Amino acid sequence: MVHSAVGSNEQYNYDIVKKFAIAALIWGVAGMTTGVWIASELTWPFLNFDIANITFGRLRPVHTSGVIFGFGGNALFATSYYVVQRTCQTRLWGGNFFPNFTFWGWNIAILVAGIGYTFGITQGREYAEPEWYVDLAIAVVWVAYFLIFTMTIMRRNQPHIYVANWFYMAFILATALLHIFNNLAMPVSLTGAKSYSLFAGAQDAMTQWWYGHNAVGFFLTAAFLGMMYYFVPKQAGRPVYSYRLSIVHFWALSFMYMWVGTHHLHWTAIPDWTSSLAAAFSILLLMPSWGGMINGIMTLSGAWDKLRTDPIMMFMITALSFYGMSTFEGPMMALKSVNALSHYTDWTVGHVHSGALGWVAMITFGSFYHMIPRLWNTKIYSVGLIKIHFFLATIGTLLYITSMWVSGIGQGMQLREFDEFGNLANTFISTVEFMHYPLMARAIGGMFFVSGILLMVYNVYMTVRGAKQEDQATATAISQA
Amino acid sequence: MLKHESIETNTGLLIVLVLVAIGIGGLVEIVPLFYIDGTVEEVKTADGKDAIRPYTPLELRGRDIYIREGCYVCHSQMIRPFRDEALRYGHYSLAAESQYDHPFQWGSMRRGPDLARVGKKYSNGWHVKHLTRPRSVVPTSVMPNYPWLIKNDLSYGDVKERMLALKKVGVPYSLTQVEFDANVKKFGKEVAEKLDISKADENLMAQAKSMNTDGDANRITEMEALVAYLQVLGTMVDFKQHDEHDFIKFR
Amino acid sequence: MAEKDPITGAETTGHVWDDTLQEFNNPLPRWWLWAFYGTIIFALIYWTIYPSWPIGKSYLKGIGNTITYKTDAGEEVTTHWNTRALLQYEMQNGEAAVAQKAELKKIDAASYEEIAKDADMQAFVQSFGKGIFGDYCAACHRTGGVGVIGSYPNLTDDAWLWGGEATDIENTIKNGHIGNMPAHKGVLSETEITELGNYVLSLSKEPSDAALARKGKALFEGKGSCFACHTKKATGMKALGSANLTDQIWTIADVKGQKSAEAELTAVKSVISNGVKRQMPAWKSRLDETQIKVLVAYIRSLSSK
Ligand code: HEC
Ligand code: HEC
Ligand code: HEC
Ligand code: HEM
Ligand code: HEM
Ligand SMILES: [Ca+2]
Ligand SMILES: [Ca+2]
Ligand SMILES: [Cu+2]
Repeated sequence: MVHSAVGSNEQYNYDIVKKFAIAALIWGVAGMTTGVWIASELTWPFLNFDIANITFGRLRPVHTSGVIFGFGGNALFATSYYVVQRTCQTRLWGGNFFPNFTFWGWNIAILVAGIGYTFGITQGREYAEPEWYVDLAIAVVWVAYFLIFTMTIMRRNQPHIYVANWFYMAFILATALLHIFNNLAMPVSLTGAKSYSLFAGAQDAMTQWWYGHNAVGFFLTAAFLGMMYYFVPKQAGRPVYSYRLSIVHFWALSFMYMWVGTHHLHWTAIPDWTSSLAAAFSILLLMPSWGGMINGIMTLSGAWDKLRTDPIMMFMITALSFYGMSTFEGPMMALKSVNALSHYTDWTVGHVHSGALGWVAMITFGSFYHMIPRLWNTKIYSVGLIKIHFFLATIGTLLYITSMWVSGIGQGMQLREFDEFGNLANTFISTVEFMHYPLMARAIGGMFFVSGILLMVYNVYMTVRGAKQEDQATATAISQA
Repeated sequence: MLKHESIETNTGLLIVLVLVAIGIGGLVEIVPLFYIDGTVEEVKTADGKDAIRPYTPLELRGRDIYIREGCYVCHSQMIRPFRDEALRYGHYSLAAESQYDHPFQWGSMRRGPDLARVGKKYSNGWHVKHLTRPRSVVPTSVMPNYPWLIKNDLSYGDVKERMLALKKVGVPYSLTQVEFDANVKKFGKEVAEKLDISKADENLMAQAKSMNTDGDANRITEMEALVAYLQVLGTMVDFKQHDEHDFIKFR
Repeated sequence: MAEKDPITGAETTGHVWDDTLQEFNNPLPRWWLWAFYGTIIFALIYWTIYPSWPIGKSYLKGIGNTITYKTDAGEEVTTHWNTRALLQYEMQNGEAAVAQKAELKKIDAASYEEIAKDADMQAFVQSFGKGIFGDYCAACHRTGGVGVIGSYPNLTDDAWLWGGEATDIENTIKNGHIGNMPAHKGVLSETEITELGNYVLSLSKEPSDAALARKGKALFEGKGSCFACHTKKATGMKALGSANLTDQIWTIADVKGQKSAEAELTAVKSVISNGVKRQMPAWKSRLDETQIKVLVAYIRSLSSK
């Protein structure tokens, strides 16, 4: 039952998981520090320093790609490879080559894309900014990922495919589909970076937000639910709350996510019918999303005490709560009347980060604190530090989203306000002035969050170092015997 | 629930069913946009020509710079049909107005004001001052300075290739006489001239000279291209010529 | 296969992964299921009311949710709910729109004198001006219209390049202007420009060298041909937008901002050397007659006149 490090390394390919996990942390620090930086640029514009490469417009995509694809992507590769091996009780398919190919391919692609942004190389499509050659590379890496994942499942020593793997599988397939269609483009020349998208105007907008929403739906949600479905019951030591709920909410999510992209385009020049489909499907998504939250939180029934004693569990349950909150907020914002106010404002940005910090990052932190000691077959260096990390992350997230509510809802109300004569009551620039302090609070929230992940990096570093020393001690002991 | 057993134990079936589940939404929402009449409005000028034209070479290069600098992360180009936006920015945006935009730049955030109708709102000189140092004209702005725009010479050696690439994705730039004639019919002679790929360089230089935003007529800077682009935004449709009904009927 | 969990007694599916992972076979929570049904009903109603499913070359337009608006010709049109018709309806019937339209109508009918005297209309002008001037004009003329010396004229002083009568200002806003003074560098020598500078300063009673100023006066009225635009009295010409050089109000040369007499001279010389080229945009295609009228009233209220 208990695998020794040597045994596990033979049975499972842990090397690749370790690599991805470390990469996720590195990207996490880089991406979130960039987040704090750009947040500060909006408060203190001199921080742009008149250096083209770090102006807000070029750095913001570095942040979004860094955290979503760098941090999130690597965390998903790491956990999906870990989970699929353990739940199929088989070694990862593809020998050493294919998994390593996905590691280097993915990370180099994001690095090239990110450096490109600072030089102005971008397709100007949110979350799909990489230019055509990076898109091609990503597509190749993704095919390898799909093969590795599928072949590993095919070789499973278990009749059933575990629910976590359904979610990972849906994520891999949907991402492939979305990535390919949204990045169709015509390069200006095969030796240059620039390309123009295949579609234009309204159709391009539709395709982009079909992709954009599902970068959220599958990348930042379905896949992290996969993570949740393994690590929460593992950490709790309790069975998943309801198998039937898993089935219903999995299929409902997979089907319905793809319809809601137009809630990013309410009231625009896109035809109204697409917008109504999206609004209603967004409401329909509420309960299926909560299915995941219920399944996660209720898994703790019979082990509620862990919520007080186990900081890893605190991370996981807080993550699920934020997940529940942002998937409630999302459908509300998808209603046309609410969106009329929230769209184009910081309310959206706050919503994003209650999902991104509260859910995506926190579930990753929890899962990593569970997984990393097991990868290195040791104990975590400090549980106390996990606790501090938890509080820093929670305070940071709360500060972030509350300040964004103030700034977003405030700006939205001011811009649409008419005085008793029916005239505009406020100018645009006065709303910019109004947002100064909320934006400052947001930047400070980000600093809390970053200090948290820095503690985590230290904790993980000390854990791994400790593990290596133990290994050495055992090795010497054996050779002396 | 028993039937789920067969999906859970069969990788191929799981993959196929997931593909079906995720495929439908996009098919139903995206494909009809290419064939439902009126998705993109027909907007004509008084003399029956297309009101919306593709960008001139200089405007096109300006747009590339707009994308390069990531202006879209702070500025939308999509005025919604609300009264406050009508008063603040002007007439709501039509789908037709971005029909040649590869990619679209509607944006999703207004850190700064909407730019869909910023064309001709300010002078070229103002844009130069503002882009170089926004706080010199708007003291509480949070927009970054872009001092390099006026320092960098515009590279336009490949403007023809850029137009050709756009032509391949459907923008009516003309290469042959037949295409030119078609453009004359569609847009009128004056506009058709500007869309002629073989004259791209001369057109670009002439337009830059006419703007001369940097005071040096012999230089063409990135600033001139970007300002040329900003100055055309939202100016192609003369809304005074239309009854609102003309646009409502497309929705 | 089903097994029972020792703690809760609930049934699991009997599958085990990775040694310990199990699933309960709990039913869907009741409240969850009902809420889900609720959202389905919501969606169905929503799709009935609003334009929704695409069918062939058209789409379901929605029922029981029509909007009626008037065309320019005054004809009533009733259509299915859509965002554009909704705005048109709002513009014709909305509370704020109607209130504003009533005020605009009053302004339209009144003369500038009446507007200036009527407290209600003044209140409206101030309110309208604040928003529109703030969003359209303040990027150049600054909030409140104080302008930037050298770039954008101050609209709160009593000096007008293009005339301060209501009709002048109206014309300025409608059609815009190009402020244009040629550069004299190269045309005149450095000494001549120094002399002109001293003369211009003397006109405003700024410190200047009387001897040089006298030579400058000759140049101004002669070879320099400054008088062609500024007139011999140097009071400017509103047809050309040329500045009055005698009013001690500076719009281009920041004389008042200088600390020393030399610096003042340098500032004035720089204008003479380099000339001026600046543009006020035309607003007639963006704003209608009445809106411009309100702006004129607003601007006039900013200056003492
Ligand atoms: C950090 C966010 C930010 C970025 C990036 C940014 N802007 Fe702005 N922009 C603003 C803000 C805030 C304002 C309003 C205050 C002002 O006028 O400066 C503004 C105003 C403007 C205006 C005036 C609009 C109006 O109607 O008054 C223009 C034009 C403009 N920006 C163009 C650009 C261009 C072109 C770029 C890219 C090269 C850009 N901006 C990048 C924030 C930004
Ligand atoms: C792009 C910058 C810019 C904007 C925006 C702008 N102006 Fe001006 N305005 C100018 C400049 C420059 C001048 C001076 C023209 C000259 O030098 O002759 C001017 C001159 C004027 C004058 C004449 C002043 C005089 O002394 O005769 C008035 C009145 C005026 N503007 C009103 C407005 C109003 C009202 C608006 C908004 C609807 C507006 N301006 C927007 C740049 C601007
Ligand atoms: C073609 C017409 C023209 C001629 C010739 C001309 N000016 Fe001007 N001048 C103008 C105009 C127009 C302005 C105002 C520019 C503006 O406000 O945009 C002006 C402004 C000025 C100013 C700035 C006033 C201030 O308030 O800051 C000075 C000083 C001046 N002129 C001096 C001269 C002198 C000296 C000469 C002769 C060498 C001269 N001008 C010739 C048209 C002319
Ligand atoms: C049922 C669940 C959800 C729904 C219906 C939903 C809905 C929405 C809506 C309506 C917007 C605003 C669009 C706009 O006005 O521009 C939005 C933005 C966004 N949401 Fe959600 N949301 C959900 C869950 C989540 C979750 C869990 C995340 C996780 C991170 C997330 C991430 C985002 C992002 C990144 C954006 C910003 C997109 C952009 O404009 O760049 N959402 N969402
Ligand atoms: C320290 C933590 C973070 C800080 C300080 C931060 C800060 C920011 C800032 C300042 C923006 C730009 C918003 C604007 O335009 O005003 C932004 C955007 C964004 N961030 Fe973060 N961020 C952090 C973490 C994350 C994480 C972990 C994720 C995802 C996993 C994420 C995803 C995003 C996304 C998707 C956007 C785009 C939002 C939109 O377009 O609406 N961020 N972030
Ligand atoms: Ca791309
Ligand atoms: Ca966005
Ligand atoms: Cu979405």
